[in-house]
Amino acid sequence: MIWLLIFAMGAVVFLNRYAFLEPRLPLRLSSNARQFLGFAVPGMLTAICGPIIFLPEHQLDLSPLNPYLLGSLVAIALVLLTRSVLLSMLASMLIFFLLRSWLA
Amino acid sequence: MPSPPLARQAFLHGAIAILPLSVAVAPWGLLAGSMAIEANLSAWQGQGLSAIVFAGAAQLVAIGMLKGGANLFSILLTTLLLTSQHLLYGLSMRPVLSGLPTRWRLGLGFLLTDEFFALTSHHDQQQFNRWYALGVGLTFYVAWNLFTLAGIVLGQNIPHLDQLGLDFSIVATFVALIAPLVRNLPTVVCVAVSLFCSVLFSYWHWETALVAAGLLGMAAGFVCQKFSGGRL
Repeated sequence: MIWLLIFAMGAVVFLNRYAFLEPRLPLRLSSNARQFLGFAVPGMLTAICGPIIFLPEHQLDLSPLNPYLLGSLVAIALVLLTRSVLLSMLASMLIFFLLRSWLA
Repeated sequence: MPSPPLARQAFLHGAIAILPLSVAVAPWGLLAGSMAIEANLSAWQGQGLSAIVFAGAAQLVAIGMLKGGANLFSILLTTLLLTSQHLLYGLSMRPVLSGLPTRWRLGLGFLLTDEFFALTSHHDQQQFNRWYALGVGLTFYVAWNLFTLAGIVLGQNIPHLDQLGLDFSIVATFVALIAPLVRNLPTVVCVAVSLFCSVLFSYWHWETALVAAGLLGMAAGFVCQKFSGGRL
């Protein structure tokens, strides 16, 4: 049962990933479609982060002391100042875990 | 077709480019491995999820649903909806990937993750290098599976790894990728709408929350760009 689920999930995810890569699919992208898809990175990655930041443990947390929110703000500030993705990720994670232990 | 040394060089460049993101996915991978063990999956099944499904968010949600006693069909439907952003990624990369030979299409298609897309999507047909893309995708795949393995081992020894806030790692990664992109009004609008809608829809327990919010954000950015007529 579990293995069936794992393989079926694998098939579903692969189908999502591969569907539009298939050249026999008759489809041409207009310039409008391309412009729209140009927003895919900021749009989708933001949508993935939103609930993790503001709904930790599935509870709405809009407090300015929410460690996920503070950690994200630190990451934004660091990456804009230093232009280093790795440094910003590591430093903001460290600060997040420190904040979490202090604010808990 | 590049000669073998050039191909190897491009592969290495790709592997190096994804290295920071591969390191940053460690806590998320640990979480995927340890949660599988906590949900009473065997070590092989936990590893199989990462090796075969290779989609962090879907894996974690599926494990949570299994724990809650959900049936096969509802887990698969949730997986389909949760990972539907990959349809967009495929559509967006269609111009560069659909012309490749079948085994490259299938291989890079399997490796098409959020992180892969973030690193390769801005390449046009001239810049795109299949070996670079393979270096990016394969390195990330190996890292994801190694961290899952570590999570399986740790999960058997350290309980409650899921309460440590390891999911912040994915936020730290994506925020660091997005922030430098936000340079004009349409992108600000896109990010703001997407953020607001993703929280609202998730609060409402929509299973399509993420992709609906992402699409609305993209549409808002696109409309804003059209109205400003490229003046911004």
